[in-house]
Amino acid sequence: MTIVVTTYAVYLAISIALTIWVAHTLHKNGRIFLVDVFHGNDALADSVNHLLVVGFYLINLGYVSMALKLGYAINNTQEGIEALSVKIGMVLIVLGGMHFFNLFVFSRMRKRTNKRQDHPPVGPDSFTAVEQEAA
Amino acid sequence: MLTLNVLYDPDCGLCRRSHEWLAEQPKLIEMTFVPCASEEARKRFPQLNHDLTKKDLTVVSDDGAVYFGPKAWLMVLWALTRYREWSYRLASPELLPTTKRVVSAISQNRYQITRLAGLNR
Repeated sequence: MTIVVTTYAVYLAISIALTIWVAHTLHKNGRIFLVDVFHGNDALADSVNHLLVVGFYLINLGYVSMALKLGYAINNTQEGIEALSVKIGMVLIVLGGMHFFNLFVFSRMRKRTNKRQDHPPVGPDSFTAVEQEAA
Repeated sequence: MLTLNVLYDPDCGLCRRSHEWLAEQPKLIEMTFVPCASEEARKRFPQLNHDLTKKDLTVVSDDGAVYFGPKAWLMVLWALTRYREWSYRLASPELLPTTKRVVSAISQNRYQITRLAGLNR
């Protein structure tokens, strides 16, 4: 195996492992958020959680495979490791960005539903009897 | 709380215009509009002081809680999807006195405002 091919193989192995790890973390910890957002509707929470993770995988693996090609020659191990480091660094940044985007989506959803549960801003002045409408 | 009954003044152009605007807004809580001191209002709320409802906006929730004047305005804002946050902001201890002053001033001068703004149709 040439150095380039070895670099590619190591790059793919590390990138895919990282993606799986981040997706797994999201899947495990995002569920609690989603169950809360959907008021304890576990089935819906699991479904949305799964869909989010699928999107996460698609975008990240898509990026990993598009960023595979080096575009320049590698002559020794040192250059190989340097190239690998740049590539992995990019993957980590993209993963981080996606991860924070997901957190943002979770917190937005949570905030939006919380608003609906809130109490009136002021207390009533008094109480009166209400006749129910015949209709 | 499922519904807010808004008792508005049907003789005031500003109130009618506000009613039209409210009817179009997306709501978190449904609202029904009842002309104040009308037969319908007296039938639905037999124990309410209907002379008072002519003086300022009154909101009655379907569980019988009565909100009068500035509180009624805040409840209406609270029921609207886009303005719920504002209802809390305006009801905060720092802003509530100002809110009450501004709302009372608008309510007391609603006929003049209607005339000046040409809302009488």
